[in-house]
Amino acid sequence: MEKKEYDAVILGGGLAGLMAANYVADAGFKVAVVSKVFPTRSHSAAAEGGIAAYINGNSDPNDDPEFMSYDEVKGGDYLVDQNAAELLSDKSGEIVRILDTWGAPFNRQPDGRIALRYFGGQTYPRTRFVADKTGMALLHTLFEHASGFSNIDFYSEYYVLDIVKDGNNVNGLVAMEMKNMDPIYLKSRALLIASGGLGMVYKHSTNSYISTGDGYGIALRSGVPLKDPEFVQFHPTCLYPSDILISEAARAEGAILKNNKNERFMAKYAPHKFDLAPRDIVSRSMTMEMMEGRGFEGGYLSLDLTHLGREYIMERLTLAYDAAKTFAGVDAAEEMIPVRPAQHYFMGGIDVDITGTNSDLNGLFAAGEAACVSVHGANRLGSNSLLETLVYGRETGKTMVDFLKKHKNVESSDGTEEIANNAYLYIKKETGEHFGTLLDELKETMWNNVGIFRDENKLGDAVKGLQNLRERAKNMYVTDKTTNYNTEVFNAFETRNMIDVSLAIATAALNRTETRGAHFRNDYPVRNDDNWMKHTLAYLKPDNTIEIKYKSVIVTKWKPEPRVY
Amino acid sequence: MVEEKEITVNIKKYDENNGEQWRTYRVNANRYTQMTEVLRWIKYEQDPALSYRASCHMAVCGSCAMKINGEPRLACKTMAFNAINDKNEVNLEAMDYYKEVRDLIPDIDTFYDRMYKVEPRLYADQTVISGENEERMTPSEQKEVWKFEECIWCGLCVSACPSVKEDEKFLGPAAHAKGYRFIADGRDTKKAERIGILMDSAWRCTSCYMCYEVCPQDVQPVIAIKKTKAYVDEYPGTTEVITMARKHDDTISESIAESGKIKESKLYLKTFGYVAAMKDMMYMMKQGKIKYAMSKDTDVKNIDEIKKIMGDKK
Repeated sequence: MEKKEYDAVILGGGLAGLMAANYVADAGFKVAVVSKVFPTRSHSAAAEGGIAAYINGNSDPNDDPEFMSYDEVKGGDYLVDQNAAELLSDKSGEIVRILDTWGAPFNRQPDGRIALRYFGGQTYPRTRFVADKTGMALLHTLFEHASGFSNIDFYSEYYVLDIVKDGNNVNGLVAMEMKNMDPIYLKSRALLIASGGLGMVYKHSTNSYISTGDGYGIALRSGVPLKDPEFVQFHPTCLYPSDILISEAARAEGAILKNNKNERFMAKYAPHKFDLAPRDIVSRSMTMEMMEGRGFEGGYLSLDLTHLGREYIMERLTLAYDAAKTFAGVDAAEEMIPVRPAQHYFMGGIDVDITGTNSDLNGLFAAGEAACVSVHGANRLGSNSLLETLVYGRETGKTMVDFLKKHKNVESSDGTEEIANNAYLYIKKETGEHFGTLLDELKETMWNNVGIFRDENKLGDAVKGLQNLRERAKNMYVTDKTTNYNTEVFNAFETRNMIDVSLAIATAALNRTETRGAHFRNDYPVRNDDNWMKHTLAYLKPDNTIEIKYKSVIVTKWKPEPRVY
Repeated sequence: MVEEKEITVNIKKYDENNGEQWRTYRVNANRYTQMTEVLRWIKYEQDPALSYRASCHMAVCGSCAMKINGEPRLACKTMAFNAINDKNEVNLEAMDYYKEVRDLIPDIDTFYDRMYKVEPRLYADQTVISGENEERMTPSEQKEVWKFEECIWCGLCVSACPSVKEDEKFLGPAAHAKGYRFIADGRDTKKAERIGILMDSAWRCTSCYMCYEVCPQDVQPVIAIKKTKAYVDEYPGTTEVITMARKHDDTISESIAESGKIKESKLYLKTFGYVAAMKDMMYMMKQGKIKYAMSKDTDVKNIDEIKKIMGDKK
């Protein structure tokens, strides 16, 4: 097997991975960025509305980073590690300034300073944006910056199979070049997992087709736990029926949700914040409206932009307008947009602290949606995912630099052949289970049983169903035996990762007998701070079960209080 | 419920062992169906070996660039009902120009190489990087930068560009949009170098507007090229192509100023010189393309206004 040696290997070429890569490379270390897609195809590109930032001298005069942290803590229903929220807010202005010097084309105020607008759950407006393609603009900025380093090698269109370990130390990973299906061993003493989210495990999701939870699966199989996997965000306004995201920016700019009686129903559920209440609340309210017969046939509600005027919509909400026009044939300046909730974000992730360090495996780091720094708690606020990828991508990059200065590479490379051989099993098998069948079952189970409203029966069935799927997945085979860009094999690898992470989600959701943030239990509809103000740690066991442990929530300033909007 | 219709999808498949072959599939689509979904259904239900790229399904990542009924487009941005012909059929092929890898997946490394050649990153002033100074940008400047920064690196414009195929020194449309985006950005400190990288190549564009037609983001690379050419006086020295192209432009102005017409014969002779013009004419006649060898005069519309503007410039 081909072998290449690096100081650090970064799995994922989205915002978090690239941000860390820039800092590790800047310190002179040799870095490999490995991704199954070319970096600018990463799901970061799909982020629309913006990035929250408190910029000293360019924010609301009454605002303060402390208010921003408070919004995060309350938005996350007190499952937020408060030191993580404070770091996120404190570094937000600096991050935007750095991106400005790297070329990000933020929208401007008439005096030339960076513009800002309101987003859901914010006490004061803090969101900075590039039209409504902020993610795409920042991703290109970061990739272009990274492409200037001669000590970063990009392995684009390489699929990562598993982590190589030496005892309890990271020793790189094995990947497969997609073009010719050859395995390669990328050896390194530091590994950053920044592989993004898992939307594809749900039947309805705004995520890219590539968001298949690869990093979670790889981590779980290496004995690393996922923190708080029961917390999955459903975004309220996804275009019916393609589930393309209509940014929260639309509501921030004045769009209103309406039911089939033309009522502004959010007034009933969030009498102060209305349509701009946090996403978990709006998604549940919408589902309630539809369950009670006030939705439209087919299962959707209306997002009304018509009162904003064509010119305003075209300037500030181009993407929302174009998406409605192109994908639903709706002229949003004149008609209402059909929307419904769909899976959008995974608050859970690989357990790390505010330095991005995982404590189960030496040399393992995680950042972005793949990680759980516990900055979003039980529900993420809009504009905070881009911010998290950049703030914690940078923090983690700096941590990795410190780690690399202290640790030397180890020589062994055990286990690499076994990883590659296991992968080839799917191609060698002539009969068995096909990924398509398993995926259909998986997506149905997750949507119906582990969705917006949950209860013991549904979750119990889901866990059993997923354990069964995991067993059957060991017998997967592919029909395509060719050795150039065999996407069927990669779909099988993805399916394996998707099943593993789904099992963690369902088991943790069954285990948490309370309602908090995005985790809503019909049978336990109230938050229970006495028993449940703690993080879940979910470990995958070889017998297809998930072992649950706990970790306490870090509280610095804010005691839990009722979450009213 | 939404009305469905059965559509026929013909896909040109390719792999190293079997070469190229067309295969036909039938799927039920409705007015909301994107071509990326059509591909996904085929893969899940009929042909798991079918290979294509797709990621964001909302036209911001550029993965699913391909030829749909012969036209270079993004599959996600193409609705099935808009793609089919009157027989409810649609043909899918990999993009032109790039090397075939597998089915609808081409190797577009040459596209990326073009992008890297224009040093696609901002080089800010040291005092701004250190935080001593703050850079401001007017909303109109931001608009200009963002217009050309919206490129998603899908590769469609390069696959459709005739000049890229004929002229290896032409950087291609996307790279020019990217390059110009930094010239237009007041925060950048490398304007002179950028003009150096881009200028000769810019004059190699034939202004055929194919890139303008095919760009799914409406980036209009050809406009970036024209705007870059406007910096020609800041380019130190000249090159063969620039000299020739400027001669061409000067002759057009001269011709309009003198006669109110574009005299193509004069244009050709002055731009390429008599010997080259004779050679080309002989070649055209030999190829039986006599009508192209014959020159014609074209009347210029609104000639008074144009002359007024030209006069103002002098």
